[in-house]
Formats: sequence, structure tokens, C-alpha cells
Amino acid sequence: MSDVKIEASALSRSYRRADGAEVKALSAVDLRIEAGQFVCLVGPSGCGKTTLLQIIAGLVPPSGGNIVVNGQRVTAPGPSRGMVFQKDSVFPWMRVHANVEYGLSCRGVAKAERQKVAAQYLERVGLSHVAGAWPRELSGGMLKRVAVATVFANGADVLLLDEPFGALDYVTKRQLHDVLLTLWAEGEAGRRRTVVFVTHDVDEAMILADRIVVLRAGRVVDDLAVAADRPRTTDALLLPGMVRIKHILLTHLGLEAAR
Amino acid sequence: MTPRPGWWSRNWASLAAIAAMAGVWEILSFIYTAEAAPGEPMVPGWEIVFGRTLLSLADYWGGGLGVASVAEGAPPSYTAAVLAIISNSFDTIVRLYTGLIAGAAAGTALGLAVSWSPWPRRVVDSPLQFLRTLPLLAMVPLFQLWFGTEFIGKVAFVAYGIGVIFFAGVANAVRNVPQIFIDNARTFGASRATLYRTVIFPAILPELRATMLLALGTGWGAVLGAEYLGAQSGLGYMIVYSEQFAYLDRMFFVALLFVLYASVSYALFDRVSRRLLDWTAKSGQVSATL
Ligand SMILES: Nc1ncnc2c1ncn2[C@@H]1O[C@H](COP(=O)(O)OP(=O)(O)OP(=O)(O)O)[C@@H](O)[C@H]1O
Ligand SMILES: [Mg+2]
Repeated sequence: MSDVKIEASALSRSYRRADGAEVKALSAVDLRIEAGQFVCLVGPSGCGKTTLLQIIAGLVPPSGGNIVVNGQRVTAPGPSRGMVFQKDSVFPWMRVHANVEYGLSCRGVAKAERQKVAAQYLERVGLSHVAGAWPRELSGGMLKRVAVATVFANGADVLLLDEPFGALDYVTKRQLHDVLLTLWAEGEAGRRRTVVFVTHDVDEAMILADRIVVLRAGRVVDDLAVAADRPRTTDALLLPGMVRIKHILLTHLGLEAAR
Repeated sequence: MTPRPGWWSRNWASLAAIAAMAGVWEILSFIYTAEAAPGEPMVPGWEIVFGRTLLSLADYWGGGLGVASVAEGAPPSYTAAVLAIISNSFDTIVRLYTGLIAGAAAGTALGLAVSWSPWPRRVVDSPLQFLRTLPLLAMVPLFQLWFGTEFIGKVAFVAYGIGVIFFAGVANAVRNVPQIFIDNARTFGASRATLYRTVIFPAILPELRATMLLALGTGWGAVLGAEYLGAQSGLGYMIVYSEQFAYLDRMFFVALLFVLYASVSYALFDRVSRRLLDWTAKSGQVSATL
């Protein structure tokens, strides 16, 4: 039996909007994620995916229920949980390489080491040529890759990724999938990292995930295991088991009628 | 990129406008010949300002450096006049910048402190908001009674005026820092001190630029105000002294010095801040894009 890395029990979160309306972003979410698992969160816009990630990160306190990571209750963010945000989070006042070094410098890693690691991850996301640029000089997709490199370079044990590749072109996206899967596999002491990956893209979820959790209106409505071997080729997505999963997901997203 | 136009082609229009202003002044001096006192024209022309007036500033030279003062019986000389201008300007500028640095540092520290945790906010915020509403110039006599003609009095006054501006500017700028940057830093485990050093401080710099420009203006005003009442030297002292004898031309000359010094300090500040704010997108260039 493998150990539980992230455990959410009866998690709920409501917001009071400025117009006075009460929004239930999450209600009674129970979720156990095992160490080393790659979980994709899918669901329609506004169903609470970002909120769930923010609660796991410790950025937003739950209104009810419990969130435990590594056996400890989450009360604040910390470097053991890296997060790529849906919105642009790259610091505009730091050059690209300084952004990528940021997490390492917060942990007091020596400058030479920091620069080496940052250069390596910039290379992996294909941005070596803009290491010395200001973020304002980059395109939206490049900024996203800087954010990804920053989080990857920091090497957190738990990676929380909120639509990290949503703004990217197909080719770059596929390349970054490989980077991510490599990173996932090379956690400390040969153990896989734990990844929670939010996406709207059903195919992306099936290429990446061990498990796909479907959220709707703040609740977990389905939880599917994806057993196909890795690396997953285009053919793998056409296996009967995978096609069945795709139909289920599309049904959840309201694109196909239930059969 | 189009080549940057030369200095001359960028600035000729501004220079022409300034020259036109000077010309209007000269014409006025011929048309409007009323006098504040016998021999003291209300609108002194340039030939007076850079001739008789400049020479008369020798009155403010206290002697030394081998150049005798007028009070000691020496005839007014251009050397004494220039020395008078330099020494009085120096006094004013030292008062201004000592006060500016002290006030900016204290105001920034307090402005950051109120966002740090609830206690400083409770303790510091209300009293400073209260102080902010006291009109600065109304406080000049108060500072004079407290400090007399001491150097520290003028510095404290300038520091007070600028500190209050910086406090309000910094506290407000911190509130405007986008949450996403703070969240991002926190997920990397940034300590609070690191968060302030690497996120809050750089993020508020663009707004601090505006605060600094406002503070420079206020600072020049404050140091003058302080010198009006309690100083034996400095440009403000020269103005008050001239006013007592209706030396309009001298007041005008000192005002020109102010314009010169203020312009130089704005320009210097602009250069420094531009380098620090290299990372911000160039904006406000509506005319270039339309
Ligand atoms: N700070 C907030 N204040 C008020 N309401 C909020 C806030 N954050 C989220 N919400 C609401 O909570 C609900 C869930 O939001 P959330 O951002 O988690 O959705 P999401 O699943 O990430 O959507 P998307 O796929 O579009 O990113 C939405 O209805 C949203 O309006
Ligand atoms: Mg979202």
C-alpha cells in the first residue's frame, strides 16, 4: 500500500461576492491522492478547480473540512508545494533568469548553483535565448513557460499546475508534456513527485494522468483511473479503454449525451 | 527601430518656448515701468537682473576666502556675489537633501510597517493620518519656536513634510500590489522579509516615483518656508531680506536660482529612476501611436 500524499476531507469553500451573493466554489470534496500519482482535474469553467488547488497550496483557507499534505494540516503555503498559476505570476521586475532562480534563492541556494539549475530548466522549456530579457519583452506563451521553469527548478515534491499549458501552441505543449513527465519521474530518492494538474483539454488529461478527477459545481462527480502504459503514443489514445474514458469525460463536459 | 532624433531636434521647441517667455518678460519690463520703491522696478528687465542685481547679491557674502564682505566696507564685487550665491545655495541644498533623505526613509519605513502586521497599523496609521491633515506651511512658526535658527529645525521641518507624503504614498502603493505576486512568492516559501525585499519593494517603485516627484516639489517649498522665518543664510533668507527692502529684482533672481536647482534635481531623479524602472513597459506615449 502506498502512502497518502494529499488528503482532502469534506472540503468546502464559499465566497461572498461584492454584490452580496454567496458562491459555493467547493462543497464537501473528499479526495485522497497517493504519493507519486499524476492526477488531472477536469471540469467546466467555474466548477472550483482553481479554488481546490489554492486550498491545497495553502493560499486560501477552506470554509469547512480539512486538507492534509504529507500528514500535516495545511495552514500556509510552503516550498514543498510548487504552484503554477492560471494567471500571469512572473515578476515583471526580475529578468527571466532571476525569476527562474527565485525559489532557489528563497531557500538560500548559492548563486552559482542557482544559475546552473535555472539555465538547465530554461533550456528544457526552450527559453535559453531570453534568459536576460525582461518579462515585458516576452509573449504570453513564453511567460507561461517561465512560470513553469521556475516551479520545476525549485523541485517541489508536490506540483500544483493550474492550466499551465493552456495558452501554448500544440508543439510547445507536447514538448512540455515530456519535460513535465520527466520531472515527475525524477523526484528525490527515485520516488515520483505528486502532480495535480488542472486542464480543460481532455486529450491532455489522457496523455498525462494516472487518474482523472471530474469536478462539477464544486463537487467531485467522477474519478477515473487511466491504466495505459507510458509513454503514451497517439495510438495509445485509440485503445478501447482510452476511448471509453474519453466518452465519459466528454459526457461530463456536456459535449455528448449519456449512453 | 527608428534612430533616436538628436538632442537639438527633440528640444528646440521647448527652448524656443522658454526664450519666448524671457522675451515677454523683457518687453513687459519696458511697458510696465512702475516701481516698488524708488529705483526698484516691479518688472526688472534682464539687463538689470544680470547686472546691477547680480552685483548687489555681494551683500549676502559674510566675508572669508580672502574676499572681504560689503559689511566690512569692501565695494560690492562679482566675486563676492558669486560666493554669496554658492554659499547660500549650498546651505539650502544641504538642508533640503538631509531632510529629504531622512523624511523619505522614515516615511517609507512607516508606510511598509503598517502593512507588515496589524499592530503597527493600529499604532501608527491614525496618528499619521491626523498629522497629514495639518497644513505644512502653518507649522513653520511652530518649528521655529521649537528649534529657533538651528540647522536641525529646518531639516526636521523638511523631513516632516516629506515623511508624511512618503508614508501616505508607500502605504497606498503597498495596497495596490497585485495579490498574484504575493501568492507566487509565498508558494516558494519566501519569508516575510524576503517578500518585502523581493516583491513588495520593487512592485511599489513605479508608484514611489510619483511620490518622489511630489516630495521634491514639497521639499523645495518646505525648505524655503523654514528659511523665511528662522535662518541666517540660505536662499529663503535672501528672499525675506530682499522683501524687507523691496528689492524685487533680487527676489526674482533667487526665484530663478530655484527654478535652476529644482530642474536639475528633477532631471537627475528622472535619470536614476528610469534606470531602476527599466522593467516597466513604456507607456503614456499616446501621441506616438495615434
Ligand atoms: N475571490 C473570489 N471571490 C468571489 N468569488 C470567487 C473568488 N474566487 C472564485 N470565486 C468563484 O468560485 C467559483 C469557482 O471558481 P474557480 O476559480 O475555482 O473556478 P475554475 O474551476 O478554476 O474555473 P476556470 O476553469 O474558468 O479557471 C466561481 O463561481 C467563481 O466565481
Ligand atoms: Mg481556474
